[in-house]
Formats: sequence, C-alpha cells, structure tokens
Amino acid sequence: MALVNLTGKETGTWVHIGTETTIEDGAVVAAPLAQLVDADESFFKAVGAVGAVLATDADWRAVAPLANKLSFVVINFPSFSDGRGFSLAVRLRKDLGFRGEIRATGHTIPDQAMHLLRSGFDSVETPDAREEAFKAAVKRYQVFYQSDFTGRTSLAHARHARAEERKAS
Amino acid sequence: MYAYDQYDHALVNARVGEFRDQVNRRLSGELTEEEFRPLRLMNGLYLQLHAYMLRVAIPYGTLSANQMRRLAHIARTYDKGYGHFTTRQNVQFNWPKLVDTPDILQELADVEMHAIQTSGNCIRNVTTDQFAGAAGDEVADPRPYAELLRQWSTFHPEFSFLPRKFKIAITAAKEDRAAVKWHDIGLILKQNDAGETGFEVIVGGGMGRTPVIGKTIRDFLPEADLLSYMEAILRVYNEQGRRDNKYKARIKILVEDLGAEEYARQTEAEWQAIRNNPIDVPAEEAARIRAFFAPPRLEVLSDDVAEVDDLARQNFLFAAWVRNNTGKHKVPGHVHVTISLKPHGGIPGDATDAQMDLVADLADQYSQGEIRVSHAQNLILPHVAKRDLPALWKTLDAAGLGAANQGLLTDIIACPGLDYCALANARSIPIAQAITSRFDDMKRLMDIGPLKIKISGCINACGHHHAGHIGILGVDRRGEENYQLLLGGSGAEDASKAAILGPGFGEEGIVDAVEKVVAVYLGEREDGEEFLATYRRLGPAPFKEAVYGAR
Amino acid sequence: MAKKLSGPQMVIANRLDDGRVVFLDRAGGWSVTPANAAVADDEDAIEALANVAAASVAANKVLSVEVIEATTDENGAPWPAHIKFAMQAKGPSVRADLGYQVALNWEN
Ligand code: SF4
Repeated sequence: MALVNLTGKETGTWVHIGTETTIEDGAVVAAPLAQLVDADESFFKAVGAVGAVLATDADWRAVAPLANKLSFVVINFPSFSDGRGFSLAVRLRKDLGFRGEIRATGHTIPDQAMHLLRSGFDSVETPDAREEAFKAAVKRYQVFYQSDFTGRTSLAHARHARAEERKAS
Repeated sequence: MYAYDQYDHALVNARVGEFRDQVNRRLSGELTEEEFRPLRLMNGLYLQLHAYMLRVAIPYGTLSANQMRRLAHIARTYDKGYGHFTTRQNVQFNWPKLVDTPDILQELADVEMHAIQTSGNCIRNVTTDQFAGAAGDEVADPRPYAELLRQWSTFHPEFSFLPRKFKIAITAAKEDRAAVKWHDIGLILKQNDAGETGFEVIVGGGMGRTPVIGKTIRDFLPEADLLSYMEAILRVYNEQGRRDNKYKARIKILVEDLGAEEYARQTEAEWQAIRNNPIDVPAEEAARIRAFFAPPRLEVLSDDVAEVDDLARQNFLFAAWVRNNTGKHKVPGHVHVTISLKPHGGIPGDATDAQMDLVADLADQYSQGEIRVSHAQNLILPHVAKRDLPALWKTLDAAGLGAANQGLLTDIIACPGLDYCALANARSIPIAQAITSRFDDMKRLMDIGPLKIKISGCINACGHHHAGHIGILGVDRRGEENYQLLLGGSGAEDASKAAILGPGFGEEGIVDAVEKVVAVYLGEREDGEEFLATYRRLGPAPFKEAVYGAR
Repeated sequence: MAKKLSGPQMVIANRLDDGRVVFLDRAGGWSVTPANAAVADDEDAIEALANVAAASVAANKVLSVEVIEATTDENGAPWPAHIKFAMQAKGPSVRADLGYQVALNWEN
C-alpha cells in the first residue's frame, strides 16, 4: 500500500486497533467509531492521539461529541462508487469544523484524486500500482467551477475577484 | 449563446488530455475494462450492441451553426455518416472506434462542446424548453440558469458519485415543454407578486421501472439562491439515497420514503446552514452569463406576410407545416421553426451529416446562427422571419426535412431500442416506422390533432413511454419481442402517468391496436377535444373494449 | 442473463480497439464473420472456448464476452440463436446498409 499526500500537509502514522488490542500508553491509534463512542475518559487519556475509522454510511452527527478529541479521521470506501464518503468529509469540515487529517482508505480510483482533495481529504491509501496515477491526477486540473475545501473559491468568484482587484488598484 | 472563456477552455482541454491518457492506458493493458468502464462512461462512451457509442452533450439543447457543422464533420469522419438526437437533448454517434474517441473529444472541445457527464451516476446535461429565448410565453430565458447549473455540476467534487444518475430540467413558460415534473429536479422559473424572479422547485420525478411525478418542495426560491439550494437537495440525496438496489436508488424513491415534506424540511435546514457559503455565484457572474443570452436583435416585422398566405393557399403541405411546425415568437413577424426529424417511415431523431450541414447553413441564413434540439428529438431554428418561411420550407422539403408533423401522431419519440441498445428487450424504431407509415396521410393526421406517441425498448424508459398520450413499451416475452400499450400519460404541465391497457402485442398487433385506439377517440371526441382530454373523460374502458373486445 | 444455456454454443464479443462485434473462431482467433465461429456441443468443449475467450479478455483484445446459444443460418453456418445476438451479428435491422449484413465498408 502507498500513501498519497493530497494536500501536502503532514500525514500521520498510526496503528489500527480493534476491541481485543491492548493499547500501549501514548500510542497513536485509529479505532472504529462505535468503539470510541463507548470508550471512557481513561482511554483518551492513555493514548497519545486517536482517530476514528468511519464507514461511508456513518452519521456525521455521531462523530460530533467526539470531534474535539480526534486528531484524525479515516473514511473507508467499500467501493469507489460510494459517494457518501465525499459528503461525509464535507460534513466533518463544514459542520464539525474538523481540522485534523482526513484519510481515504479502501477502494478509490486515481481519477477521484481531485474529488477527494476538494471534499476535504488530505491523504489516500492506495495500492502501490496506483500511486503514480493518483499523483498525476492531482496535477491535471487547475481551475474549478465550485468553491472547495482546499480554500479555493469557485471560478465564478475568481473571475470577478480579479476584476475587483483590478478595479481597486 | 454562452461562449467559453480561457478557463472553460482549459477545463475541457484538460479533460480531453485526461481521457486520451486513460484510453492509452486501456489499450496498453494498464487499465482493465473494469477500471476503465466508469472512466469512459463519465466521458459519454458506452459499449452498445454493434460498437462503442459516444453521447455528446448539447447543453440545454442549444447549438450554434458551427457546432452543428462540427457534429456533421464527426459523423462523416469518425462515424457512418449520421447521428441520433436523443430525448435528453444530446446527440449520439453509434459507431466510433475507441482509438478515435480522444480525437473526437478534441474536435468537440475546439467548438466548446464535450461529452462530460453524459453518463454515470452524476448530474447529467441540464435540459430545458427548446424554444427558450424565443417563445412568446416565457417569463425569462431559462438558459442562463441552465448554464449556471452546467458549470456548478461539472466535476462537482461531492456529487460525482451519486447513488444514481441525476437529471435536472428547467422551464420558464406556461406550457411545460421540458417535462420538469418527470425529472429528479424540476425547476419552473416564475415571478412572485413583488416582481422578483425565482423558481418553483420540484423533486423526485422520474420514469424507469417506477414512474413518479415530482412534488413541489418550495414554491418560490429566489434566483440568487439557486445553487446553494441545489447543493442542499443533492447532499440530502447523496447521503440518504439507497445504494443497495439500483432500481431504488433514484431520488424519487427517497422522496417517497421520507415524504416530500420531510425532504423539504431537511433540504431547508441544510440550505439555511450553507446559503452564505460561497456556493451561489456573485451577481456580476450571473450578469456575465446572462449577457451571453441577450435576445438577438430582430427587426419588428408584420405578422401578415402575403407570400406565406399565397403559398399556403396553393400548397396544403406548406400550410400544414406553417401551422404545426412554427410557433409564436417574442418578436412580431418572427416564428420559431421545428424541423421534424420524423419523416414518415424514417428513424426518429436520426440526421445525416448532409442534413446537419444543411441545418447549420439554414441557421446562419435564417436564424441568427442558432439551433436547438428538443426532447422530442427534433431540431429547431429559433428566430426565423415569417417572410423567409416559403424559401426555408422548400429547402427543407427537398432535403427530406420538411415533414409537417410536429406535435402530431407521427411525431413519435422512440429510443434506439434493440437495434442498437445493449439493454433493450425489443426494437423501438421499427414500431415507430410502422406507425408512421400506417398514418402517412397529413389530412388524417391533422384531423386527429395533437397526439404524442412515445416508445421505449425496455423498462428504462428512455423513450418516455410513461408520459405518452399513447405509450409503447417493448418487453421480452419468451425470447419474442412483445409490446405493451399504455394510455393517458402526459409530460406537460398536466403531467400524468400512462396506464397499461391490457396484454401486449407483436409488432403487427401493436400498430393495429394504436389504430383502434385512435378510432375510438375520433368516434367519441367532443367538439375541439384533443385525444388526451377524451381519454381522461372516458377512462380506459371504451379503448379496452375496442382493442381487446373480440377476445 | 444468468439463464442456463443448452445445445450448441458459440462465443460473441466486441473488439477492444474499435468495438466491432466478433466471434471466437475455430483457430482460436476472433472473426467478424459468424460463419467462422467455433461451435461447441459438450460441456468440456464449451468450457475450452470460454477459457480461450477469457484469455483474450485478459490480453486486452476483446471485451463483453458472452457464451451464447448457436443455431444455423439458411446455409447451415453458425448463427446466434437469440434475437439480441443475431442483431449483433447482422447490424441494426433498420439500417440494412450498415453492419455485417452488407459485409461492409468497415475495413474488417
Ligand atoms: S429504454 Fe431501454 S432499450 Fe431504450 S434506449 Fe433506454 S435502455 Fe435502451
């Protein structure tokens, strides 16, 4: 597996834990959302940093009470065609104000690189064979018709922002 | 018409480059078909029965003469000399080679066209009234809004992998010529009491296996809020639409499951949360786009033109054509002209390269260089001076484009069916040909009056059979083509679902059945009553008896 | 179409580069002429055809491969039994000037 960094921000490394795993103090761990919902304060104290692993059908509202405890979120795509993952990332950024890393795992395709990045993902885990194609896809387009979570405003705004600047100067 | 700026050009050119790369990777074996399929579909490239098929978007049905010439060139150079205009105001080429498709897309990009999002589970080409900008009965030109929607939906980061395909239609006229109530989202442009422009928003219409007429979730949405409101509707759908069953994945099922009120409530809540985000375009951008659609400067002329009246008196076919195929324009002395692609016995919606070139030339000569495509699979010259009608008609007629049947029984909508389509159960086109040959008599057709026949080759309903006054659906009955007869549908402002009349027929039988249905109407109609009104008044019983009575 | 097939069978596909309809022929290649199609009667032979076809898919020569029921045309040559595949073999019924039915201008 390769990790493609979409935003250029620092990406983390962590261990995935299940219910059975014993956690070393200070470890950086990723755990399924349900497990985190049930976890008590001592768990959050013990670990170094924690992230939630979300299925694409996770309800973003269920993440809300935990949001300020999470350092990162993993959204796992069962299939590239499951577009709920994009809305979920948007919800985390837009409605929960989440600023940590959001990573896509599971089945995504290189041609979705821009969709991921623009919906608020920072990184994507992909088979080695797809790494280059993912990296190339991020560079292909320069302008977009929508404002997005890279901080870019839509072409509609950009067209006139430039006009505004010209007027002002 | 909208004209690309450098950014629009950059986007479609980047897309062509991307697709060229993908095709190369496919041909070299780097991509498997499984991986390539969604990519080619997002560029409108299908595999049909005989070959690949490329579906090219004609944004909201508007084409320039030059763009039409390019379509003719593509048909001639890369295809077999013809194209097929579809019920989604698109054009399909039936025989392109995979290796040629990047070049075709480049040819299109050079004239500001593309095949982006003509397939796949994304927001498809937005459709609208074919007479937009010309019709006498519209509140405003709907196309600037359609262009806004085109831009907003193109490569949308969040809504490109929806549960299912998503279709939006806009109308601005009293008469709904865009079938908005049959779309995932239907928009009716209107003015409120304060004179502000906005939209009635309808969601959850759709055909296919489960036909549903859309429901209004907002009576008036200010025009400036269009995109943020669309975004709210789409987010609710993307999150909650079903993904476990392809046939239950359209928004219509979610709207039924939640109820229209709940769908409206969730949309409204989300919209309130996002309406101040930079989603809606600045007023300057709306104005920039609107300026492209400024009405052409047409000379105000008299509506009484002696040459037209003279020729109409001498020539019944010309008179019929003027009556059926031309309609009231905003500017006196002008009309919009429908060029029928439904010659009797012909293939509905097909046009040869030569015909496309001719229509392009005629558009330059008579219609400000503008052409439209209707969802009824005809071409329109939107701005024609009445005094030019005789010359225009003679030229069209000589090229096999003079059929005077717009809106009449032989103006049949038919999907490609089993002659081309890999999903089909039965052929559609031969049924249309048989019906139009059987009714090949303009006097009889004029007597019958407005009657819409719509034919689909399978339950996917690309031929809109649910919305036909007479609908015909091809099914597979133990390996044989069989046709079901439906009556009473409408795609207009009085939208209704057609109902199956009874058991299906073979090819011959379905044509007889149509004839019997028409005979009942002619016998039963009251003064001035059109077919649909008679059917609604009488119900199916007399029709059933006439069609099946002998059994 | 998970329907169980019976009787003699043949393999139909579309060529990758141009999409053209082809049939697996007796030499293990792909022919645009249905008359050249290999027809198999028993399970082993059918499976052998399917394997050759699958290898061809893996080699990115064809796609949309289907094992289909075969009948014979008026000359006794192999011909698809089902209407859909017969349509593929012939070309559109409404354009007799196009497709295999005119053995045609589509340089093979
Ligand atoms: S209705 Fe069916 S047969 Fe007709 S074009 Fe659509 S999918 Fe094909």
